[in-house]
Amino acid sequence: MSIMEYNGGSVVAMKGKNCVAIASDLRLGNQAMTVATNFEKVFPVTDSLYCGLAGLATDVITLRERFRYRVNMYTIKEERQIEPATFAQLVSSTLYERRFGPYFVEPVIAGISKKTGEPFIAAADLIGCLNFAKDFVVCGTASDKLFGVAEGLWEPDMAAEDLFETISQTLMNAVDRDAFSGWGAIVHVITPEKVISRTLKARMD
Amino acid sequence: MALAQPLYADQHRPIQHQFNPYAENGGTILAIAGKDFSVIAGDTRQTEGYSIQTRYAPKVFKLTDRAVLAVNGFQADCSTFVKKVKQRIEWYRHAHSKQMPLKAIARMIQGMLYGKRFFPYYTYNILGGIEEDGTGAVYSFDPVGSYEREACRAAGAASSLIQPFLDNQIYFKNQTPAPGAAPFEPGNLPMDTVLSIVIDSFTSATERHIEVGDGLEMFVVVAPGRDVAGVQSLGAEELPALTPEGERIFVLRRDLKKD
Amino acid sequence: MAEGGRSGGAYSFSLTTFNPSGKLVQIEHALAAVSQGTTSLGIKASNGIVIATEKKASSILIDDSMIEKVSVICPNIGIVYSGMGPDFRVLVGKARKSAQAYWKMYGEYPPAKVLAQEIATVMQEATQSGGVRPYGVSLLVAGWDDHRGPSLYQIDPSGSFWAWKASAIGKNMVNAKTFLEKRYHDDISLEDAIHTALLTLKEGFEGQMTEKTLEIGVITVPEGNTLTMKDGRPLPTFRKLTHEEIKDYL
Repeated sequence: MSIMEYNGGSVVAMKGKNCVAIASDLRLGNQAMTVATNFEKVFPVTDSLYCGLAGLATDVITLRERFRYRVNMYTIKEERQIEPATFAQLVSSTLYERRFGPYFVEPVIAGISKKTGEPFIAAADLIGCLNFAKDFVVCGTASDKLFGVAEGLWEPDMAAEDLFETISQTLMNAVDRDAFSGWGAIVHVITPEKVISRTLKARMD
Repeated sequence: MALAQPLYADQHRPIQHQFNPYAENGGTILAIAGKDFSVIAGDTRQTEGYSIQTRYAPKVFKLTDRAVLAVNGFQADCSTFVKKVKQRIEWYRHAHSKQMPLKAIARMIQGMLYGKRFFPYYTYNILGGIEEDGTGAVYSFDPVGSYEREACRAAGAASSLIQPFLDNQIYFKNQTPAPGAAPFEPGNLPMDTVLSIVIDSFTSATERHIEVGDGLEMFVVVAPGRDVAGVQSLGAEELPALTPEGERIFVLRRDLKKD
Repeated sequence: MAEGGRSGGAYSFSLTTFNPSGKLVQIEHALAAVSQGTTSLGIKASNGIVIATEKKASSILIDDSMIEKVSVICPNIGIVYSGMGPDFRVLVGKARKSAQAYWKMYGEYPPAKVLAQEIATVMQEATQSGGVRPYGVSLLVAGWDDHRGPSLYQIDPSGSFWAWKASAIGKNMVNAKTFLEKRYHDDISLEDAIHTALLTLKEGFEGQMTEKTLEIGVITVPEGNTLTMKDGRPLPTFRKLTHEEIKDYL
């Protein structure tokens, strides 16, 4: 039994043209037993930056609170909103602080830079090694499936609506083949103007 | 302090030797059935661990004029198994003076696999071809003979990458037809669509899986009387038929990334 | 009450205790140490900042190339001091460490305000801790960041800090400030600011003003107001002027 598969769950993020999307499933399990179907794994950091955390649920919650604390301190001290790239570094540092007793969580970051308007996605492993991809990033128990579907469906420069369809299809078809993920899904599409969040009607088995 | 001599007990402890009769040689296979054709494909890379043993090891084999078998798993078991299947098919032809029907081959394969239930062939088999009623078919097997006829199937190293993609593109999972439009019907796609899905699946798997790549072989089995201009225009090579009864088999080859 | 043979009044038995008029006398003493130090000044221009100081060796036998009064903290921040050299050296060490710690956490160098606040916190702690004395320096911090642009801060031994358009510290600070008040205008260019800085220092300069007896540091606002990256590192926005460059301004 791997501790990364104890609770199950998956997250994916994708880049589009002037937009990014991040999505997660809603399952919380206790090994093979499903405990809850409303466990969101994507959290807002600023109004144009979201962070998804897949892995051990207790660490997901702890890290969410830790990031909230650190980002709030940053915002107050620096009198500005944190940029996606800066937040990615913060995530990486926070995880590497526990290099030899890690949080069992793989983070995914998606946002749009307030400064440059550039879409940004990144993912890290559980000790904070960052991956700045230009197409999509995945993590969680369905990561191999997500890679396969995303590689087949994603294309460059998608508009917000196309990006929503692509990330939704990628997530749903991947988690439907994963026993530890699924039971509903939520998608956030971030554009410079607004964030569109939709809960998907997905297979519940 | 180090002991000058090993302890007596250490010197005379029994040593266990073990032989592992199995290996895992990577690669991926997949098959998709159409209404009157069937596509059976596999990459040509063979690996052991992080090493590439060869860039051209075929995994897809013509069995009869209307049946093609893709095998994946432990290469030694794969070639032995294909050899034995071919032998049994030839015996059938001699005994019955006709080529073995697809569904009979499928049942025979299940018997051969289950026959080694307690020392299995480490092989994942996908059988594709044309049924006696002229429809395209795909049969997929687990290593001990559990089998099923399906519209599509991926197996091998990158099956987890490809299968959910096929669920979406072939079975139209998580898709709803536009209001008023006809309902989706799996196993009814045109051949050019199927071939491009196969190629996309393998280029995707090559991109994200280290054991997949080098080359792609797609066998296209076509029902009697079906138009073959499409597959011929793609540069397919036709395999000669043993006893021409209308079905035709073509092979399409494509390069995959070698890194 | 006995004073233990020391001078300084009844309330100097602890360095961190207020006297009845509400003052920490040690801070007053630290400020006195600052006002004995050589003059330093800083001017914020429309396209940059200049910080400058008089460098005076106590003997002609000293190799003055070893003395550093304007220090680089990180690629976008430099500081200058008036007061006690050794205390400055300690603060430079702490400031550099703080900047690197920030880089390690966020992958970028701190904004000038954040660094000024860090240094101010270090200096404040010395006014409230047992067994230490306040730092005998005032600092001018010049920095550039894409959030606030060019900014100039002054930090005093008490740990208080403010932003300035132009300021002076040290021996000749009162005269220098009066001079700057007359000369300063909002759209001054960096070139003009450097000349004004030299002109201000000239008032009350002890001895000959040469490239050897001056130190100048400048912030140059980068092209397009964003950091230019080279080989994955930001190109510095703060740099010290070379002897040749200073010579040209004289």
